[in-house]
Amino acid sequence: MFDLDVRSRKPIYEQLVDKLKELIMNDVLKVDEQLPSVRTLAQQLTINPNTIQKAYRELETQGYIYSIKGKGSFVNATVKSVNTEKLEKVKKELIRLLTEAMYLGVTSNELETIISDIESSLGGGSSID
Amino acid sequence: MINVKNVSKRFENQSVLKEVHFSIDKGSIYGLLGSNGAGKTTLLKIISGILTQDKGHVFIDDSPVFEQIQIKDKVVFLPDTLYFFPQYTIRQMAEFYRNIYTQWNEERFQRLSDVFEIDIDKKIHKLSKGMQRQVAFWLAMSAMPEILVLDEPLDGLDPVMRKKVKNLLVQDVAEREMTVLISSHNLREVEDICDHIGILHKGSIILEKDLDDLKSDVHKVQVAFKKNVPNKLFDNVDLLFKEERGSVLLCIVRGNQADVMMHFKTFEPDIFDILPLTLEEIFIYEMGGVGYAIKNILV
Repeated sequence: MFDLDVRSRKPIYEQLVDKLKELIMNDVLKVDEQLPSVRTLAQQLTINPNTIQKAYRELETQGYIYSIKGKGSFVNATVKSVNTEKLEKVKKELIRLLTEAMYLGVTSNELETIISDIESSLGGGSSID
Repeated sequence: MINVKNVSKRFENQSVLKEVHFSIDKGSIYGLLGSNGAGKTTLLKIISGILTQDKGHVFIDDSPVFEQIQIKDKVVFLPDTLYFFPQYTIRQMAEFYRNIYTQWNEERFQRLSDVFEIDIDKKIHKLSKGMQRQVAFWLAMSAMPEILVLDEPLDGLDPVMRKKVKNLLVQDVAEREMTVLISSHNLREVEDICDHIGILHKGSIILEKDLDDLKSDVHKVQVAFKKNVPNKLFDNVDLLFKEERGSVLLCIVRGNQADVMMHFKTFEPDIFDILPLTLEEIFIYEMGGVGYAIKNILV
């Protein structure tokens, strides 16, 4: 399904969480679709089942998936609440990046051009709420 | 569940283990790391009931191990120097294991012959070192242990075999919550499958933690300043290591990533880079903290 970089400095479970989130947000894994069992995933990726369990738990607390005892884990439908949480994160990240950009000498005019460029490429930006 | 409580061991006048204390949860893969001569093998032998400790206790599922047949039936120990009976073939050796381990799974033994692809009627001592290790794994996995103790298990195996063996281990952990204890000094080998690690040095455990926590708790920071380095830079920082490479400062810092980042950013460095550490780096810096550091030796 996907590959992890076990040699990476990033903890494996973080990589797993990020990868699965990506799949869920891009609708590769659809609502109510079952996630691979811990066992299969452990075998496929040759990583510790406990790490996968931990990643699933993390995804569950973040609201991306829900689990049914004895059946497995499924993609959650309530993406709205997830979005607000995600939005907070993105905003934080933006502030960090913008601070860095300004620190490196990017003017606010330049930033505005970038924003309007992105807006037009997304189709007017009317759909952004 | 393995519980090691204040275990000490000495050989003649040499103290090998000093008050070692830790526990391993069921279904966990525990990596025991350590410097050369730290006492890893001795500890593993005590846990598997081959040696007795001088002081302290070892419990597996709340029962002592030494000379307890019903407990030892669940434990398989794979030593770093393998031992097989002279002149025995794989089939004969399997026969012996079948008589010892009550949980022996003959069907699995047959199925695993597809994985290892070694002629079952070959004499074991005529096989290469790597193949003997494969046989050891073959027998160990067929004995269906609840606890598998491995001393330097992947030595001498080629990359394909390593992957296969790890895969087998992971399957058993996932399927029937086997507990695995692995000792190694090849950190890259164990990094991907362990969930907990303990570092043993000179007979004591100096660090014991969840691997992911450990990784997200220590960071490598590189900073550079055009001007002088601010002298308050390292105030309120849990610094493990610091090195100046020309104008670039390399340091290892413990703490929450966001906090560390905020702290360094306030000094407005011209270059700033933060990375998690690899297990190998964590090992090296933690060992440096107890005086087992890498010194640049010029001969």
